Amino acid sequence: MTVHPAERRRHWQEAHDLLLVYRETKGRPPRLGDAPGAALAAGPQRALYLAVDSDGRVTAFNGHVDLGTGIRTALAQIVAEELDVPFDRVAMELGSTATTPDQGGTIASETIQIAAEPLRQAAATARRHLVEAASRRLNRGLAELVVEAGTVRVAAEPDLGVAYGDLVRGPRVELDLDPDAPLKASADYAIVGRPVPRVDIPLKATGAWTYVHDVRVPGMVHGRVVRPPAPGVDSVLGGLLLRVDEASVAHIPGLVAVVVEGDFVGVVAEREENAAEAARCLAATWRSFDGLPDLNRPEAALRGNPAKARRLLDEGDVERALAHATARLDRTYVWPYQMHGSIGPSCAVAAFEDGNLVVWSGTQNPHVLQSDLALLLDLPEARIAIERHEAAGCYGRNCADDVAADAALLARAVGRPVRVQLTREQEHAWEPKGAAQVMDVRGGLDAEGGPAAYDFETRYPSNGAPTLALILTGKVAAAPAVYPMGDRTAVPPYAFGNARVTVHDMPPIARASWLRGVSALPNTFAHESYIDELAIAAGIDPIEYRLRYLDDPRAADLVRAVAERAAWVPHTKPGTHGGARDILYGRGFAYAVYVHGPFPGKAAAWAAWVADVAVNRVTGEVAVTRVVVGQDSGLMINPDGVRHQIHGNVIQSTSRVLKESVGFDATGVTSREWGSYPILAFPQVPEIDVLMLPRQDQPPLGAGESASVPSAAAITNALFDATGIRFRELPLTAEAVRAALNPPRIAGPDAPPRRRRGFLAGLLGAGAGALALATTLMPWRPAYPSIERPDPAAYSAATIVQGRLVAAAGACLVCHAGPDRASFAGGRGIETPFGTIYASNITPDPVAGIGAWSYPAFARAMREGVSRDGHHLYPAHPYPSFSGIAERDLQALYAYLMAQGPVAAPAPATALRFPFNVRPLMADWNALFHRPAAIVDPARSPDWNRGAYLVEALGHCGACHSPRNALGAERRGAARLAGGFADGWEAPALTGLSRAPLPWTEDDLFAYLRSGRSARHGSAAGPMADVVASLGPLPDTDIRAMAVYLASLAGPVPAPRPESAAAVAPPGASSLFQGACAACHEGGAGGDLVPLGRVTSLHSAHPDNLIQAVLNGVPAAAERFTNPDPSAPPAAMPAFRDTLTDGQVAEVVAYARARYAPGAPAWDGLEAAVARVRALKPHAGL
Amino acid sequence: MQDERRPVAENPRPDPRLAPVRHGLTVNGRSVTVEAAPGTRLLYVLRNDLALNGPKYGCGLGQCGSCTVLVDGRALRSCAIPVRAAVGRRITTLEGLAEGGRLHPVQEAFIAENAAQCGYCLNGMIMTSVALLAAHPDPSEAEIRSGLQGNLCRCGTHVEILRAVRAAASRLREARTGSDGDDA
Repeated sequence: MTVHPAERRRHWQEAHDLLLVYRETKGRPPRLGDAPGAALAAGPQRALYLAVDSDGRVTAFNGHVDLGTGIRTALAQIVAEELDVPFDRVAMELGSTATTPDQGGTIASETIQIAAEPLRQAAATARRHLVEAASRRLNRGLAELVVEAGTVRVAAEPDLGVAYGDLVRGPRVELDLDPDAPLKASADYAIVGRPVPRVDIPLKATGAWTYVHDVRVPGMVHGRVVRPPAPGVDSVLGGLLLRVDEASVAHIPGLVAVVVEGDFVGVVAEREENAAEAARCLAATWRSFDGLPDLNRPEAALRGNPAKARRLLDEGDVERALAHATARLDRTYVWPYQMHGSIGPSCAVAAFEDGNLVVWSGTQNPHVLQSDLALLLDLPEARIAIERHEAAGCYGRNCADDVAADAALLARAVGRPVRVQLTREQEHAWEPKGAAQVMDVRGGLDAEGGPAAYDFETRYPSNGAPTLALILTGKVAAAPAVYPMGDRTAVPPYAFGNARVTVHDMPPIARASWLRGVSALPNTFAHESYIDELAIAAGIDPIEYRLRYLDDPRAADLVRAVAERAAWVPHTKPGTHGGARDILYGRGFAYAVYVHGPFPGKAAAWAAWVADVAVNRVTGEVAVTRVVVGQDSGLMINPDGVRHQIHGNVIQSTSRVLKESVGFDATGVTSREWGSYPILAFPQVPEIDVLMLPRQDQPPLGAGESASVPSAAAITNALFDATGIRFRELPLTAEAVRAALNPPRIAGPDAPPRRRRGFLAGLLGAGAGALALATTLMPWRPAYPSIERPDPAAYSAATIVQGRLVAAAGACLVCHAGPDRASFAGGRGIETPFGTIYASNITPDPVAGIGAWSYPAFARAMREGVSRDGHHLYPAHPYPSFSGIAERDLQALYAYLMAQGPVAAPAPATALRFPFNVRPLMADWNALFHRPAAIVDPARSPDWNRGAYLVEALGHCGACHSPRNALGAERRGAARLAGGFADGWEAPALTGLSRAPLPWTEDDLFAYLRSGRSARHGSAAGPMADVVASLGPLPDTDIRAMAVYLASLAGPVPAPRPESAAAVAPPGASSLFQGACAACHEGGAGGDLVPLGRVTSLHSAHPDNLIQAVLNGVPAAAERFTNPDPSAPPAAMPAFRDTLTDGQVAEVVAYARARYAPGAPAWDGLEAAVARVRALKPHAGL
Repeated sequence: MQDERRPVAENPRPDPRLAPVRHGLTVNGRSVTVEAAPGTRLLYVLRNDLALNGPKYGCGLGQCGSCTVLVDGRALRSCAIPVRAAVGRRITTLEGLAEGGRLHPVQEAFIAENAAQCGYCLNGMIMTSVALLAAHPDPSEAEIRSGLQGNLCRCGTHVEILRAVRAAASRLREARTGSDGDDA
């Protein structure tokens, strides 16, 4: 735990033995979206920048924070250098509002370039003071003194010196920062400009670092939020919530509160997993929203978005030049919505104490967050402290501030410290996206092949993304503000002569805010693609062409250096790199200087790329194989850190260009996990050759984003070189590239999906007809008189034990389990085509249960399906099977049930659709279908006969595994055990009709029934997992007998399987499968999973079980079974119900089928099947 | 479909499956007892009951690898493992890799190569690499890349991570040859 911020603040304000350097500014720094004059209106600010203590330790304070870029290390280098203390004597305190200066948000690569300057001056101020103090103490002139490692020495007398700490001891001394304090010459640098290992990594590599996710406060409880069903669309929030049903989470242990304020909904529980479960279960009813325009292909939506044109540049005469152009090139470039994609979803902890709020947060804007929370909670800013801890890298504005506000609201509501962790789905859905962008260029060539004019327009629908809780609670209107941030690097770097640059400022459509390379990356995609197009049109090498119009000498130096490093071969046509078989090779160039900050902005580091690509012309897959990247960053404080940033920028931007595009539907974001938003993984990482220009004598420039900026154009230019095709819309997915390389010759509409006749309609129609024809025979049977509940003591212990085994073999609990999942209190709804049938209470309660039933009444119900009072039971109760139960087993079962504790709660009444709700008709049904028959074959082994009894009678396997006819009766003969459905799950064929890819042997069946898993076929899930769990008490001999019998059903010949041509993986699905499933199903991260190619459900005629598994997950063996297979993996399959859309599940399922059951035909109508299975209540399990 | 978030749970009484149960675990060589519902993910137990910060919540879906721990020496996703399934198995977290006060060679290599930016994925990278190198002491570049394929890094630290894994592989091989020599 960190020291409380108020205590730290008091320490720095009051303690002695300190030398402190303060700086006073007229107002706070301007903020994005500020009202005019707001910054100055904040009044004078006096803030601490540096402290030296009596041990000679230095603490330096900076309002900017480390987003994983290593500025904690780089800033400490700057301080150590200027103060002449060893690097390890300097500690940085970053971003805590209680102690650090407000220097604005950590954005736009400003930290080293701008925010570090006062720190350097503060260190110089302190150094001068200390040297002067030493001069007095040592009685020597200033010129005689040198500073070495925090000790001021007399140069000529090496033994004479005084340490900083000794000079500081005594009353505290507060200095004002002197902007004129002399700075060290860069030539004298000994710490700055040299590689220094990052200070945080040893702690991070051992689990000893405290990320915001790791903050624990005494008494802390856990919160989760529930967001409205408009994922990632903040402009429609407010008034969406209709009601919240708190009873829906009453079953959650340790639930502390359900908190609702406007559209803000949160839950708090003592334990984190219970808070997560409460958020999952909370029934909230919202007004629906489905008005989002198509943002998957965002061009039309952006053009239709209201905008205000802002002219940034107008030189020469563009219209005249265009009129005289010898060749016109008008182009449009489109950038997709993208995500920051922090690996750790945002998290925060908030605690109120005596009316003061402390929030531990991963924010990049601590002081802005402080203001936001003041507004949200009606608290003065002085009562709010933001303690900044590192979080997962954010690369811009993610949900860090949102979750901080969520935590504050929940902490206020429950009066205890609350930690809130967003889910992966929430971070993906709600993080303010990097906006889509549309860039238009009008231009062309003049008579000499030069650029005639450059008329550039850009559209960037984004703002600062107000903190969600402010909108959800109604503190801030949802109407989106317009931020003028589309202008970053909008002015091209080339001297075009006639040039015009216009930015269309516009509000966001989906929630959007800054993402690394804010608007500059897309703008440069256009600039650097276009100049390549011009060069090729002019018949001039693209690099040479650029150099003609690049009048910035440092830029030209960099371009030449990178071209030379990459051994660039000038060329004027595509295709110079050739190819081999299906692979085409290409090479492209791009350059940019990242101009950031409000227009006209400041230039950060210069960067240039040469990218090599390989393209598979058949599949469309693009690989970036090598990048030569050069950067001129001026003085590099920590060259290792700069190199690291360049690597990161190259990889992240390559990922964005090749793969990344947020998916939307009309309600909002559909990319809510890593499968539907894939990012570059290790196998696709290019070789990267970094060239850092030595400019240590020049001022330092921001290096956190620059190397991203040329990426898109370098790669698309390389793709043009490889294929001769220009890609002006990103990302370069295999589907997009394949489509461009192989345009369809006949564009026909896809065959309309085959409409299946309504399954229920068909059944009901047939059933009603058949029933109408049947004559009513004995509609009612006599009642057995009620009895006193039999005394369990009347039965021997052995009988009751035997009854327990019978109940286990009959899996009674699978249907009759009560809400506690242990008693036989019933109430579970069993979905049938005829309606929901509720299992009855079979505990010995005389009213609600069967306590008043005599044994004959019980036996009749079991064997003939007639209740004690004479009414007919529905054949969901499998009395046709039970008719074969041996008398002694039935008696033992009766004894066992009567020995259970009575439960007085009645089960819900079953209400079926007409005509199935007419119970007397069941008599007709029985007349038609009830054919009690025991299977006995004296020619077979005793095991076989025992197995037949357990499978056919007691186990009533046919109740699920036999198909049923239109009236719900099990079919017999060849159809017996040929596969059926139960509770929304397919019960596959147990006969020769099984589609399992490997035949089920007796040993396979034994393993499966005993442990719930066969390594050759897969794991039991859904209702079958309950059956296996129920069979737990049976001895191995009984399980073996069942296996013997079942194995005999398949017959000696392997089941014939329909063959079809090897299916082709559907386009686009592989990346979803790769991101969502492959880590466990191909990479082993879940343990020894049964290979998907062997899993029966992938080979079935019905996709239902696979869909069930994807939507609802599969519990781990250890969760479900008393005797789990020791080799079963410990992991459960996660449920993707709340993560993937129907279309995405269909995509994954289709891909898995095509890939792992290549001989089987593709499943039809998958999306509808997913919707159907989703609508079923998930199987609850025992 | 968007209107009703999900059906109201039928049973407002405490759900017995969420009732805490005692589980004896072996974590980083120590025997510990925790009380949690059997289905509670091991990740929550490690972080909240045992205050181990190495494993990180990243997705809860087994996709990203941030929560990786060693289970009987294999790198698995603790966000998908119910605590009951961890009983009887050896669980090792990032905090438990060091032996005799010395960091694991993979940790040393990651530190030496500065193989982290934000470092959130670092736990998964190190744990996966430890298991990978135990199974493949002399992996090819392709084997390393494929072994780490299921671990996501957003900062783009892949170059440094690959270098660290290669360095760790040689450190481990040298240590092995060295100790073989000592034994002989």
